[in-house]
Amino acid sequence: MDDKYKFIDFLGLRFNVANDLSALISAIIVFVFVYSLSRKVTMRPGKAQNVLEWIIDFTNNIIKSLMPDAAVKQFGLYAFVLFTFVFFANQLGLIFQVKVGGYTYIKSPTTNPMVTMALALISLLISHYYSVKKFGFGGYVSNYVKPVGFLLPINILEEFTNFLTLSLRLYGNIFAGEVLLALIGTVAKSFGVVSLVVALPLEMIWQGFSVFIGAIQAYVFTTLSMVYISRKLEQE
Amino acid sequence: MASLLVLGAGKLALGDMLFILISFVLLTALVKKFAWGPVTKMMDARSEKISGDLDYADQERARADKLAKEREDALKNSRAEAIDIVNKAKENGEDQKKTIMADAHSEAESVRQKAKSDAERAKQEAMKDAQNDIASLSLEVASKVIAKELNANDQKSLIDSYIKELTVNNETK
Repeated sequence: MDDKYKFIDFLGLRFNVANDLSALISAIIVFVFVYSLSRKVTMRPGKAQNVLEWIIDFTNNIIKSLMPDAAVKQFGLYAFVLFTFVFFANQLGLIFQVKVGGYTYIKSPTTNPMVTMALALISLLISHYYSVKKFGFGGYVSNYVKPVGFLLPINILEEFTNFLTLSLRLYGNIFAGEVLLALIGTVAKSFGVVSLVVALPLEMIWQGFSVFIGAIQAYVFTTLSMVYISRKLEQE
Repeated sequence: MASLLVLGAGKLALGDMLFILISFVLLTALVKKFAWGPVTKMMDARSEKISGDLDYADQERARADKLAKEREDALKNSRAEAIDIVNKAKENGEDQKKTIMADAHSEAESVRQKAKSDAERAKQEAMKDAQNDIASLSLEVASKVIAKELNANDQKSLIDSYIKELTVNNETK
């Protein structure tokens, strides 16, 4: 809550070191995870390959439930990377947070709205891109006045609300989880051993619940991204 | 934290978005190259293989069913054929038996007939011969009786001549 961050200004852009470092670490964890699981790819899958295929099937099924099967080839990779990245990003801050000299360096990158907005932006850019690709620019624009013309302002507004709800839902959930973790941590320190004994189980319970929330939010974020993409790809 | 969302606060970390975008795209490319590509390729290959194997199994089962049916039919046919052959052989045997019997019967009949007719002819011939002999004998006796008077000398000489004749006859014979 009252965290302080190091900022770096570079080429007129401001970088939050904590966000970038944690995002990078999450990305590296995701890569190491899938890389280590995909070393021995065989026709009869081993344990590691089974785990990876289970995740791939999971994200593919999200797409299959919303779009025709052909879309799995188009968006399967995106859904898979998005899901695993958001999942590991959500868990990162629960496992460790690094603070040096009052400045936070490592936490869940998804506790920052800029990060979640960036992810939502990718999803929406993809949805618009494929809509234009499918219907042509004219068809894409005409989708805003469908099914009836007076819905145009609502349709335009929807694009912004989609963007905001998608990103802020993830941010809110994960941020709230870590705020509560920090609060319970403060409680533990407040009255010495007595409060520590009380707070420790609470902290553990909340951590477990946060893992659950992190997984659910990764699923929700992926599913909603695919929903927005699928809605851009169908004619009303 | 809230200040991060306030536009115009002068502290908006837009660089983060760029950083996330770039790192996400890089991550996607790396995952595709090292994990997604090979694994999905293998998954596709596997599903193809499974459906191919299922098709193959269906074909094989249909073929096995057909073969079994054919064999069963052949077995049924062969049984019927065997019965047919046995029946035909029986009939043939019966026929042959009948013809052989009939032949034997007719042959025996003809042999008997021939023997009967032979015996008849032999009897007839014997009768004829006997008749001839009797006739010539009686004629001879009659001529002898008529040729001589019934006196003792005559009778004696007659008998003698007769005996002589007989002896001559016997000697010449």
